[in-house]
Amino acid sequence: MPWPTTRRVIGTKVQRLDGPDKATGRARYSFDINLPGMLHARILRCPHAHARIKNIDSGAAEKTNGFRALHIIANAGVQLFFAGAEIVAVAADTEEHADDCLHAIRIDYEVLPHFVKEADALRAPDGPSTVPGGTPNVRPGGDFSTAKFDDVAYEGTAPRVEGTYGVAIISHQCLESHGLVAQWDNDLANLTVYASTQAVPLTAQALAQNFKLPVTRVKCITNYMGGGFGSKFGPDIQGIVAAELARKARAPVKLMLDRAEEVAVGGQRPSAAGTVRIAGTKEGDIRAYEVDCYGSPGVGGGATVNLGFLPYVYSVPNIKRRHRFVRLNLQTGRAMRAPGHPQNCLLTDQAVDDLAASLGLNPIILRTRNLPQNDQNAVQNDPTSFPALRHTIYTRQLEIIRKLCSWDDRWHPPGRGDGVIKTGLGMALHTWGGGGGPPNPTRVTVSSDGSVLVQSSTQDLGTACRTVPAIITADILGLRPQDITVQIGDSTFGPSTPSGGSTTCPGISPAILKAAEAARDALFAAIAPGLNAQAADLSIDTGHVINRANNNARIPWRNACGRLGMNTAIGNGDWPTNAQFQQNPDLRREWRGRLTNNGVGGVQVAEVKVDTETGVVRCTRFWAVQDCGLIINKLACESQVAGGVIMGVNYALFEECIYDRVTGRMLNPDMEFYKLGGIRDMPDIMVHMMDMPERGVIGIGEPPTISTAAAVGNAVFNAIGVRVPQAPFTPERVLAALANGRKRN
Amino acid sequence: MKNFTYFRPTTAEQAVALLENRWGNTELLAGGTDLHDLQKEYVAQPSRVVSVTGIGALAGIRVDEKQATIGAGTKLAAIAEHADLRRHFPSLCEAASDIGGPQIRNMGTLGGNLCQRNRCWYFRDEHTPCLLKGGQRCYALDGENKYHAIFTQGRQCVIVNPSTLAPALIALGAGVNILGPKGRRSTDLAKFFFSPANANDREHTLAANEMVLEVTIPVRNWANASYEVRQKLSYDWPLVQAAVAFQGGRNGAKATGVRIVLGHVAPTPHIAEAAMKALEGRDITDANATAAGRAAAEGAKPLSQNAYKIRLVEVAVKRALLMAAGMKRYWEM
Ligand SMILES: Cc1cc2nc3c(=O)[nH]c(=O)nc-3n(C[C@H](O)[C@H](O)[C@H](O)COP(=O)(O)OP(=O)(O)OC[C@H]3O[C@@H](n4cnc5c(N)ncnc54)[C@H](O)[C@@H]3O)c2cc1C
Ligand code: SF4
Repeated sequence: MPWPTTRRVIGTKVQRLDGPDKATGRARYSFDINLPGMLHARILRCPHAHARIKNIDSGAAEKTNGFRALHIIANAGVQLFFAGAEIVAVAADTEEHADDCLHAIRIDYEVLPHFVKEADALRAPDGPSTVPGGTPNVRPGGDFSTAKFDDVAYEGTAPRVEGTYGVAIISHQCLESHGLVAQWDNDLANLTVYASTQAVPLTAQALAQNFKLPVTRVKCITNYMGGGFGSKFGPDIQGIVAAELARKARAPVKLMLDRAEEVAVGGQRPSAAGTVRIAGTKEGDIRAYEVDCYGSPGVGGGATVNLGFLPYVYSVPNIKRRHRFVRLNLQTGRAMRAPGHPQNCLLTDQAVDDLAASLGLNPIILRTRNLPQNDQNAVQNDPTSFPALRHTIYTRQLEIIRKLCSWDDRWHPPGRGDGVIKTGLGMALHTWGGGGGPPNPTRVTVSSDGSVLVQSSTQDLGTACRTVPAIITADILGLRPQDITVQIGDSTFGPSTPSGGSTTCPGISPAILKAAEAARDALFAAIAPGLNAQAADLSIDTGHVINRANNNARIPWRNACGRLGMNTAIGNGDWPTNAQFQQNPDLRREWRGRLTNNGVGGVQVAEVKVDTETGVVRCTRFWAVQDCGLIINKLACESQVAGGVIMGVNYALFEECIYDRVTGRMLNPDMEFYKLGGIRDMPDIMVHMMDMPERGVIGIGEPPTISTAAAVGNAVFNAIGVRVPQAPFTPERVLAALANGRKRN
Repeated sequence: MKNFTYFRPTTAEQAVALLENRWGNTELLAGGTDLHDLQKEYVAQPSRVVSVTGIGALAGIRVDEKQATIGAGTKLAAIAEHADLRRHFPSLCEAASDIGGPQIRNMGTLGGNLCQRNRCWYFRDEHTPCLLKGGQRCYALDGENKYHAIFTQGRQCVIVNPSTLAPALIALGAGVNILGPKGRRSTDLAKFFFSPANANDREHTLAANEMVLEVTIPVRNWANASYEVRQKLSYDWPLVQAAVAFQGGRNGAKATGVRIVLGHVAPTPHIAEAAMKALEGRDITDANATAAGRAAAEGAKPLSQNAYKIRLVEVAVKRALLMAAGMKRYWEM
């Protein structure tokens, strides 16, 4: 079951099926669901960064106008570890009344010490623990060294370069906030939720578990979704609470976070900062990379960088790394679009440019010299895998981007150029996995009127995944994508891959292919006898079924389907199980080597203009070259890359969660002082998709945002000749770096 | 949002009669882009809201040979787009068209812009009891203050006045007509603003039972411009603003009557007297504009995180002067 070699629709530019619905507002997101008699719920949150609840008095709330139900999330005695932690939820007839109810609740707190800034916690290593379990706030996060690092690393190198590089905690800022609408049936036996989630079946499962219901009695619907970026993998507290309140009030309940909640508790990407020492030969072979870094995942203990991958992408023989987690009284970090990778890239690629500058080399030369080699073992056994191809892919991408952005004409040594407005060019590289897997049961149904339906429980986060089943099915059945009806986002269709790790498209695509082929074969089997043919005599051409048994007669699609009469032709498709893969290496190679694959590379270049009098940076142009194996929808791929770049430019220039040391609260849980660039703040983005159909389908959701910020950082360095150590590169930081640069000279 | 009684009078006199003589319980409402925000955050909790949107006579722009009159109910978008205003007062129209985004400019009004509350993030956080909310301390003084004032002498509260129309209007010599229970009064817009220190103060000198009727600007063919240092081009606030106006100054002529007013550097629009003096009677050259910029920044006492604004004042003043004089905008990217 390979991918078709001549592809009618797959790999072309297909507009998303729901584009007009989204553009006109006809599409109803979970946030837009309003049911008859629906109540609105709000959550009372702890205003302190660390406190113990002494007493909860909710009596007055229950007497407030519009009150319908109340649910205590954290009882007296409970210790809360960040401002925004959930305590009580209330449902009322309107959102405003729900807010009034919350304001009628009195809570007494014992306020406890907190840390909300990395530097403060680092300065007090023996200070009071302010995190759960009384464990130290600053904890080792791993260290590693190649053999005899101190003896051999700097042998024969030019003087090493030292730099510090940091980036702030940022928020996912999903345009549609977290939450859901919960509705029980009359006897409380069945629960339906309309959720904003990246994992439709998983959300239903989690709710079933929580309410001790058979999973068959919980239905999760996600028709349209306004972004998750790694922060929406289940019902979360607010989802469970909405269902609790709906049960208590015996009415549907909507609980979507407001903007301030979305930013303060809806997910954050951990900060990272580190001192890097890097050294190479004067020809430009990187010999040594040392990093001492830390970052804060908030109150949780999760990773901040991807320590095992430092230095990122490049092949360096001598490595030493140390990492510390700085746990703070902030919401727990959540996966965010390529978790750990953008931080790794900032801690590596910016140091690489600083090294290039000190060696007097063009950074594109330095990068070309230090790419990871193709793994010879993989070349033998897994020739389409990323390890087998990485050197080939990066080399090719560097060649492409060099031409695309006219690197040789535009690049200049760092800091050169007169005038107040200085232009710079910067580059960075990235990698990601993006392999799919089971289970993703998919059903394709052909009806006798020629209409075709594809069903899968998968979700479209805004990526254009809804259009993927239409493209693949249309290609196999000789139709157009708009001829296919796609139903997704319904947990009753069975399991599917949660949309994390860029695994959705590679997860669903081969299952759709299999189901579409099975439906085609079922159609052929059903109609062949009436055409005096064997099923094997029938084939598809655009809009037609061809009958070889009758002089290659061309039967229009609808006529052919009409022969189904009262029947339908159904095809089911899914991945083999992991156990089957283990037993059968050929099967594994087919599904995880040709139909799909894992591992991509990408190269990005940013052009910035820096106003050296004000420190204002504008990213003016951007080039991105990206591999993702077999392209399903070229338009959607380019759009994914552009979106990733936009997110990365924001990461580099604007975004930062700012916390107050004294109150422990976030000061900018908004879209005002939490700065997000608008369209005028974004560069012209040129995307080049590298098509490698022989590799099979690979995800593209995460990779294109990884190297953007580092490319922008390098462009700023190239423009002004001094490194701005901390991202986002705000005017005051750029001015400070320029002033430091002047002092040194 | 705390529930409130809503009034929608049709004359300014009726509106004023509905106001009280102390702040807090009754609030005027225009476009609501600021007041409703504060209500939703429970920072403002009026129990009576008096909308001015039913007062037809409050909106409108008139320009004759002597002066321009802009009603308090005029939308920011209408100011930004008005051809006669743009011809005489590019500084005002540029400032108006840079505000927020289209939604804000289409709802926000001139009166609301001049009377809007400050954007200090401690003030706008329901749970932080700072001076302006009846508390005992200013949290910004040694907290997160990169967007706060740098001219801080003698101030307990270190907000910046948020209006970017105000510096432009003050530089143009605008006056403001006010209606109160005892009738109309007029004042220079330069005297309209106030540096608040407690919960009974506002960012302006209106009494709680007064309202702004209109703003007047003398038409006198003066060169004028406003320059804002903005980190972002869309939906953002300036870090620092400089608005200038002067007679002459173009094509080598000396500049006289020089007015230089800074925004986002002090609790009120900041009149840069030293810079005005430094430039008076001189021509607008790069060197003179640079010197005026330096003079404008003199005396600044920045907080822990905003010394960078001193540099921005120097640059903004220089650029506004060069713009007004019609010189090359060397900073355009
Ligand atoms: C993201 C963002 C960016 C912004 N950027 C800028 C900027 O760059 N420059 C800038 O200047 N502004 C900026 N603004 C603020 C915007 O200009 C104001 O919100 C708007 O002008 C307020 O007008 P309104 O009619 O909506 O006021 P309302 O919200 O209705 O009222 C605001 C205040 O004024 C009082 N008021 C209204 N009318 C009168 C009157 N006639 N007499 C007396 N009191 C009155 C009200 O009682 C209330 O206290 C920005 C706002 C946002 C959200
Ligand atoms: S600057 Fe003013 S508004 Fe802000 S915290 Fe201080 S006193 Fe409050």
